[in-house]
Amino acid sequence: MPGFNRKGILVLALIAVLALLAVPLGAQDMEETEFIFAHPGPIRTLDAPVTWFISTHWLANLLYDCLIWRTVDGSGYVGQAAESWENVDDTTWRFNLRPGNTFHNGEPLDAAAVKWNIDRVRTREDFMVQPQWVDVAEVIVVDETTVDIVTVGPTPYFEFIVSFNGCELLPPGYVEEVGDEAFSRAPIGSGPYVLSEFTESDRYVFEAWDDYWGGRPEIDRVIYQVIPEQSAQVAALLAGQVDMVSNVPAVELPGLEAAGDIVLTKETAAVMQHIYLRVDTTAGNMAETYPDFEPATLDLNVRQAISHAIDRDLLAEVHGAAVPRLGRICPHFPEGGADSFNNPETVTAHYDPDLARSLLADAGYADGGPTVYFDTPTVSRGGNEKEVAEVVSAMLEEVGFDVELNVLDPAAFGEQINSPGNNRDMMMVTLGCSVPLVPLFYRCVWPAAHHDVCVEEWDEVSNAILSEMNSETRLELWGQWWDYWFGVLQNVTLYEVQANIAYSSEFDFTPRKDGWYTFRENLKLAGDDM
Amino acid sequence: MQQFIATRIVQGLITLIIVSFLAFFLVRLKGDPVDITAPPTFNEDQKQRLRELWGFDKPLAEQYVIFITRAVTGDFGIAYLSKRPAMELVIERLGATWLLAGVASLIGLSVALPLGIISSLKRNSLFDLGSTMLASIGTAMPSFWLGLMMIIFFSVRLRLLPAFGARDPSAIIMPSLTMGVGMAAYLSRLTRSAMLEVLNEDYVRTAYSKGLITRTVVFRHAMKNALIPIMTVFGLQLGWLLGGSVVVESVFSWPGLGRLMIDSIGVRDNTVVQAALLFFSLSFISINIVIDILYAVIDPRIRFD
Repeated sequence: MPGFNRKGILVLALIAVLALLAVPLGAQDMEETEFIFAHPGPIRTLDAPVTWFISTHWLANLLYDCLIWRTVDGSGYVGQAAESWENVDDTTWRFNLRPGNTFHNGEPLDAAAVKWNIDRVRTREDFMVQPQWVDVAEVIVVDETTVDIVTVGPTPYFEFIVSFNGCELLPPGYVEEVGDEAFSRAPIGSGPYVLSEFTESDRYVFEAWDDYWGGRPEIDRVIYQVIPEQSAQVAALLAGQVDMVSNVPAVELPGLEAAGDIVLTKETAAVMQHIYLRVDTTAGNMAETYPDFEPATLDLNVRQAISHAIDRDLLAEVHGAAVPRLGRICPHFPEGGADSFNNPETVTAHYDPDLARSLLADAGYADGGPTVYFDTPTVSRGGNEKEVAEVVSAMLEEVGFDVELNVLDPAAFGEQINSPGNNRDMMMVTLGCSVPLVPLFYRCVWPAAHHDVCVEEWDEVSNAILSEMNSETRLELWGQWWDYWFGVLQNVTLYEVQANIAYSSEFDFTPRKDGWYTFRENLKLAGDDM
Repeated sequence: MQQFIATRIVQGLITLIIVSFLAFFLVRLKGDPVDITAPPTFNEDQKQRLRELWGFDKPLAEQYVIFITRAVTGDFGIAYLSKRPAMELVIERLGATWLLAGVASLIGLSVALPLGIISSLKRNSLFDLGSTMLASIGTAMPSFWLGLMMIIFFSVRLRLLPAFGARDPSAIIMPSLTMGVGMAAYLSRLTRSAMLEVLNEDYVRTAYSKGLITRTVVFRHAMKNALIPIMTVFGLQLGWLLGGSVVVESVFSWPGLGRLMIDSIGVRDNTVVQAALLFFSLSFISINIVIDILYAVIDPRIRFD
């Protein structure tokens, strides 16, 4: 080799070796952190206000900021686009926006943008979230960073509404320029992550945004990968190809425990399992079933017998990840007054088969019966519905009921309960348990829309709760509300569902109390401060 | 020949019109999409406004005319829930479905034909017994179970292959094998019996008596006639595969047409269901026309009949 002696070649070789070693070391320093969540799917549009599906909004909150949002522990709210907010009077909520904040495309996120978004969501009747926003009367731009939202009447749970589905802020200029359809193909928000690529209802890749007001998120890339089958989700976690699986079936837990590098935790799924009882033949879809059918559950004694015949502690064991409850409010909510009858002793004491038999005798069934029809999906949001329904049926038969259990595929069950003309006495349903939403479902403006009941006095109490700004008075109203809950007994609460969550030990994760799998400040690399 | 092709295309178009009619009315038999799509926060007035927005307030016949007029231009409407054109969603999934169907068919054929031919030539031999057993196992194994077992072995234990998705080129191996195994098992039995029938024909005996070697007799004389039933079944199976396998796509999270269809049926998104159904039918009909033409190429009697 002309021009190089042996020493020179050795030096060059040494430099080359060091350079080769330095490349992977440098690359390691630059290695991006990636987190893959196994989403059960389906995922709808990321033009978030269009859709009502909660599991789609899990993703939306990475891409978009709302004005404010619910805290991880469910106890209150934190500012997102709004730096601070206050209740100016009974009907006016003032939001002070972060100055200089922008959307990912540089468009200003100012008061005018907030007004455009809330006006859009409350006026577009083709948006599934629109009814949630009908209490907004007007949005007033006070100045560039101050916006007032005026409600139709006093709305104590307005913070919940303004941080729930449809709260996501979209860039008005971009949406108007490209239109709804093009926006749904390339959505832009102002959240901590930018959507870099996606295949509809399959895979969504979010990249950390450098200019987020709260700083660039620690996890560089968050991917939501739709994996519909639970066994396949678990296998992907064991293979190290996803980093988190929610709702792990109990049967899979031992295998995951043995894996070693997987963390298992349990947290409320923010839903409760219920049995819906038909109490009315004039309201709701259920009423249109078998017009000549006379449901035994129209008799309050029969409904109470059902409630007392059920051993909720045993059901929770059968389910595998549940906490027995009597009332439809999850205890982590700061109000609602459900603590007294959701504590374990009260729930256990409620199980009284002798009382159930006596109630059935009072209803005229001393010699056996009545026959009740019980529809259940094989599995749904609550998990293990079929197994639980089979045990419930056995418990009811123990006190004298004759149960006709009808187990349906989830899609067929959805058809059954949502189509007029299909339902009879009882059905297994999983219902939300948040304080601001629950009273909505027991108002007389609702029965025609769903399976609910109209009791005028109960309706008054529900409306009073939803418009009472004084929290102490509201708590008293909740006391009355529960009297109607147990007095009417349209829903028999069984248990609060918990989710078994499994994730890679490379991460530290705090589950959200609202059961949402949205990853912001609650996800870090293991060892970092949460 | 041209008349034969033209006749088959006209028959295919008539079938497609019938399918469009069925697709439109059958999805409506499932009930009012608004009942299942609208959240519980919707009251009856709001549901009615949604029906008007989506055009469900019009008489069914009028809805059908609107649907078919737009469908011929490829416009199946906007998907209720994703707000994107239904056809766009279908096309987005077609590539993955076709790729999977193609690779699975290749696997199926490349295993089935040699296995079936050798079995027929070595009838009742150890090889024949072995291939019969393999085919029985392949047919009996549910694809759901086989898929999961493959994931556990190749992804969890050996960490060799991706457990889901279609991003990595190697991701196609397990789903295509899962689909191909069933096809191979069925086609190998069919190939064996079709070959056995042909091998007993006089013209095959004549060919042997002329001193032709087995390879020439099998591939030049016997195979041509045995191919007709094999092609028929292969065409049907490929047609089904092109419609997307819900089970395999779900187990491997393969972003295909089957999963899109099931998701859309679950929420009664009629626009997507109709678009996918019509596309599925179009693929099925096209393949069968191609198979029919191939019959005519292989067996001239079919053309003249």
